[in-house]
Amino acid sequence: MIEVQNVTKSYGVVDAVKDVSFTVKQGEILGFLGPNGAGKTTTMKMITCYMPPTNGSITVDGLDVINDSMAVRKKIGYLPESTPLYEEMGVRDYLNFIADVRKVTGHSRKQALDRVIDVCGLKSMIHKDINELSKGFRQRVGFAQAIIHDPEILVLDEPTTGLDPNQIIEIRNLIRQLGESKTVIFSTHIMQEVQATSDRVLIIDQGKIAAHGTTEELKASIAGQMHIELVLRNADKSRFIKKIETIDTISLEDINVLKNGDLEASLNAEVGNDIREKIFDLAVANDWKILESSPSSFTLEDVFRKLTN
Amino acid sequence: MTEILAIYRKEMKTYFNSPIAFIVISSFLVITNWLFFDYGDYPFFAINIADIRGIFDYGAIVLLFIAPAVSMRLISEEKHQDTLELLVTLPITDMQIILGKYLSTLVIFAIILAGMLIAPISISFVGDLDAGIVISSYIGFFLLGATYLSIGLVASSFTRNQIIAYIMGIVGIAVFFLMNGMASGSGIIATLFENLSIRFHYQNFFRGVLDTRDLLYFISLISVSLFVSGTALASRKYK
Repeated sequence: MIEVQNVTKSYGVVDAVKDVSFTVKQGEILGFLGPNGAGKTTTMKMITCYMPPTNGSITVDGLDVINDSMAVRKKIGYLPESTPLYEEMGVRDYLNFIADVRKVTGHSRKQALDRVIDVCGLKSMIHKDINELSKGFRQRVGFAQAIIHDPEILVLDEPTTGLDPNQIIEIRNLIRQLGESKTVIFSTHIMQEVQATSDRVLIIDQGKIAAHGTTEELKASIAGQMHIELVLRNADKSRFIKKIETIDTISLEDINVLKNGDLEASLNAEVGNDIREKIFDLAVANDWKILESSPSSFTLEDVFRKLTN
Repeated sequence: MTEILAIYRKEMKTYFNSPIAFIVISSFLVITNWLFFDYGDYPFFAINIADIRGIFDYGAIVLLFIAPAVSMRLISEEKHQDTLELLVTLPITDMQIILGKYLSTLVIFAIILAGMLIAPISISFVGDLDAGIVISSYIGFFLLGATYLSIGLVASSFTRNQIIAYIMGIVGIAVFFLMNGMASGSGIIATLFENLSIRFHYQNFFRGVLDTRDLLYFISLISVSLFVSGTALASRKYK
């Protein structure tokens, strides 16, 4: 649906985006993740025809963003980071204006308005002026504007920034709901958001793609290590260390003897190994009593921090 | 055309949702009519001649301060509110945005022109007006205002600050208006400056003659201004 090929965007001497390539398939929700200033917004601005790439090409449904700009714009609904709203306009006037420019007219205008008011939960606010709305409702009006022409593609630039936790969950649900029938790209610098909503993640840092894949793939491939916290009774520290060293897929990270004599150890397993059984067998053979064993896998958060420092 | 009208309707709504349109139109009409009827060395009531040239003379000066107030918000406010970012990604060209916005200012100005009929209509009851001169003066004044507004639009498209747009609009218009005074004598430079000045061409309309050169001058200046505004809007692409 969207193909970005070797795209570079330079502002003077600074490259905001460097040789970035990726594709988004139809019906997919792509989470665009990166620290502030990584090039997320710049990439989105190029996809939405705000400005052309310095080098490389972007096609949307086979149409080039430079040569077929108008056709591309018709397919896309865009919610920029700043949630652009005309303060002095009423909510209905604003939506009518966007529908006007997008040539949603007549009977389909009425249907479209009813639909977006319903989907975005704007019923109680439709007669208000935009400058009277709370941040959460402003964001919903921004969404309503983006979907009024029922676009195939939605580009949402940090749609949850500045919202309170309840509003964030509402907006995430909205993204998931819209993503059932549309191709969605949304950017964020919050990890959980990607985990909660997207099919695939693209991590971008300093203008380059740092990682790309499904959330599961990313977790597995980059930091598929398993980490186990153990508490053992009846175990001798030096003997434990010696025994653990015989299993080469396990590495000991930390070990402590607690006040009551129990042994507390943190173990790391190499990628793709489930070491829980081995630890159990070892414990049985040495008559150690396992009081606690809590495995934890690395989260996307760790992946993100690792990749983007 | 649909797109241009969509922008136009939005702008008109903004003008009339706030007191801007009312303040601009009424202050122009009050000041200009007052200057014409009752001010200066030759106020209409004192000289007792059925001549309305004065209202177009005063009008040109008052409009110099009023027109940029109409045009100042056109693009700068879009930049200030960050709405420009959305506007230029809608299926609409930069030039359509400029034309739609410009059209709305022309309609505001048309209301001013209608209000300016007060003077010729009331005078025609008490004396004989030369209809030809009145009509050509009106055409001249319309072109003058249209030119002012287009220059004001240029100023607005280069800044996100309305005050700067307003002041730069006044400066821009004043430069073109007064250009004939910048070089004296009869050399090439003086002739060039004279021919480039708004005032020089504007005055010709008061003789009751429509000269193609004058029409062409105003239309060219408007076209160039609109083109420059459109280019300023498109400059985001070349940063």
